[in-house]
Amino acid sequence: MTLTLEHFLTVSILLFAMGLVIALSKRNSIGILMGVELMLNAVNLVLITFARFGESTMSITGHAFVAFIITVAAAEAAVALALVISVYRTRGTIEVDRLKLLRF
Amino acid sequence: MPVYFLVTEAGVPSISEGILWAILGIPVFAFLIIFGLRQRIPELTSGYISIGAIAATLVLSIVVLFNVIGADGGIAIHTHNWLSIGDFDFNLGVRVDGLTAIMLIVVTSVATLVQIYSQGYMHGDPGYRRYYAYMSLFATSMLGLVLADNLLMLFVFWELVGLSSYLLIGFWFHKPSAAAAAKKAFIVTRIGDLGLLAALLLIGTRASTFQIDAIHELVLAGTLAGTTLTLFGLGIFAGAVGKSAQFPLHVWLPDAMEGPTPVSALIHAATMVAAGVYLVARFFPIFEASPDAREVVAWVGAITVAIGALIALVQTDLKRVLAYSTISQLGYMMLALGVFGYGAAVFHLFTHAFFKALLFLGSGSVNHATNTFDMGKMGGLRHTMPITFITFLIGSLSLAGIFPLAGFFSKDEILAEAWIENRTLYGIAAIAAFLTALYMFRAIFLTFFGEYKGGEVVPEEDKNIHFDGIPSVPHESSRVMTIPLLILTIGAIGAGWLAFGRTFHEFVEAALPEPPHHVVPFSYGIAISSSVIALSGIATAWVIYQKKLIPASEIYKTAFPFARLFEHKFGFDWLYEKIFVTRVFQQSWNRLIEQFDTRVVDAVVNASGTIVLVFAQGVRVVQNGQVQLYGVVLGVGLIAIVIIVFIANPL
Repeated sequence: MTLTLEHFLTVSILLFAMGLVIALSKRNSIGILMGVELMLNAVNLVLITFARFGESTMSITGHAFVAFIITVAAAEAAVALALVISVYRTRGTIEVDRLKLLRF
Repeated sequence: MPVYFLVTEAGVPSISEGILWAILGIPVFAFLIIFGLRQRIPELTSGYISIGAIAATLVLSIVVLFNVIGADGGIAIHTHNWLSIGDFDFNLGVRVDGLTAIMLIVVTSVATLVQIYSQGYMHGDPGYRRYYAYMSLFATSMLGLVLADNLLMLFVFWELVGLSSYLLIGFWFHKPSAAAAAKKAFIVTRIGDLGLLAALLLIGTRASTFQIDAIHELVLAGTLAGTTLTLFGLGIFAGAVGKSAQFPLHVWLPDAMEGPTPVSALIHAATMVAAGVYLVARFFPIFEASPDAREVVAWVGAITVAIGALIALVQTDLKRVLAYSTISQLGYMMLALGVFGYGAAVFHLFTHAFFKALLFLGSGSVNHATNTFDMGKMGGLRHTMPITFITFLIGSLSLAGIFPLAGFFSKDEILAEAWIENRTLYGIAAIAAFLTALYMFRAIFLTFFGEYKGGEVVPEEDKNIHFDGIPSVPHESSRVMTIPLLILTIGAIGAGWLAFGRTFHEFVEAALPEPPHHVVPFSYGIAISSSVIALSGIATAWVIYQKKLIPASEIYKTAFPFARLFEHKFGFDWLYEKIFVTRVFQQSWNRLIEQFDTRVVDAVVNASGTIVLVFAQGVRVVQNGQVQLYGVVLGVGLIAIVIIVFIANPL
């Protein structure tokens, strides 16, 4: 059995859906961050897939994007975790349903 | 690029364009320097700057005058394109011809003398620098008004003289009466200016030009005719009615006497109020071509002549007598224009500028010594103020029209023109000539003859006193004030002699695109009868106010209803104030507008606010602070959009 575009995309969609569900359903901030990371990786997978199966197989645009996203995701995770720690120190909790001051 | 039009047989003045722009520009520099530096220059220096500037323009104006005389009063136009919108050109340009040259001389010579006189009159006033700054601004505006070669530019300067008049009437703005008078002058003249603006728009849309010479040519060619021409003429005349204080917009001029007296002499006697006459004279071919418009000019002039003279009879304030006299004399000029007397009107404007400025400055001199303008507090001043008395007397004789003084020649010509054209108008003008002599000599007998009645006591705290010495011991004014009086006296005596051989007329008529249709010869009948009329007016004043053969109070009682009517100025102020302003505007129109504002305009604004508020109250519960809910909405929304796009564009 050869691996086709559809296989990769299916994995990627499942990964993204899982990430989305986690991000929308977890109460813990860190859990949400994990969901976000999953979604990012799903996107990375799509990009690398199209880089491989696209019209020009010599193009490195997809690879370059992925490398960027991994880097930025690392930085984002660092900032986000710092925010979570800061929120925990001031509010005593990291449960997002209790962090709801910004409302009408 | 200079453009020359040769429409009369007179030559083209060769005067360089730079000199004409310099005449316009020099006073504006004086204004900017004085206004820009204000407290940083010494008081007297500000006066010298202003006087120097106006004297320089006087010299240049004399140069221009001789140049134009060399060209027999012909026309030179230097125009420049300033702005083109579509095929409509807005130009900036100067025009010089006989009429302009005369106006330049009148404006600059009277302005120079008045500014010199002001050094004495305004001495020690806290607003000395401001005074000279405004005077320079006025000089520029007035010179621009007479030099402008197109109606748009003329209109701009027309409004600028209105502004400087406003500033100078309200010069002592801390006095409520002065502030109110300034406002009244501005608003009342604006009513007339609306007509001028309408005329401007009319000519702009119908003829696509504002050039005065082009408008003249259109009229002569008959392109501009009929109702358009009449409406244009009436619009121009409406502007002139406001500016020249003609019936029914004459009410501002007497109140304008709240300004400093030299201002009254310059602006409200000699120059600015004559601008209306100048405007009608400038567009004289239009009034020649439109009998209806000309008829209106003549009758408004005649009514103004009569009203001014009658009200002047009962005034007790010396300056107000002169103000109503000015209104009446301006009426003469309009009357002359209305009976084809272009030359006579401009001639009267010319002579009137000298003797009326002289009379105003004389009244200022009297005020300087007595601290009042109330003639009931004066008397006997001929002994203490001989120079003022002699010059005032000559000015009054000139105004009354006594041979061989200036006023005799110009007024005589107006009467001659009226006699030929319309006997009713002649009758009104002749009766007013009698009244002129009567009210002027009433003023002279009350002011300079009899016993001195002590003047007005000076209040201690008044910072703006314009007098010098002690009111109970009046004395002659200083030389800086009497010398301008003496120089103006020369004009009041001799300005009329230019009438001989039609010198003056041929000069100013060269400014017209074609020679006037009829020439009125000097008539001994008119001259002798008007002299008799004037002398009988003087004699009547002498009998009543000097010999007191018939006491003035008896006449007052006998003619009580009329005297009351004159004292109340025919009720114009009452009519405008109580009926128009209070009833029509404040109580009716303004209420209506107010209702419209609250019920319609405010309602729309409030309703739009309320709608947004109600809607927001429903929607804002969605904003509950649960960040994950937002995520869900976002995701669901995105999915929904994708599905919709796919349904709309199937693969």
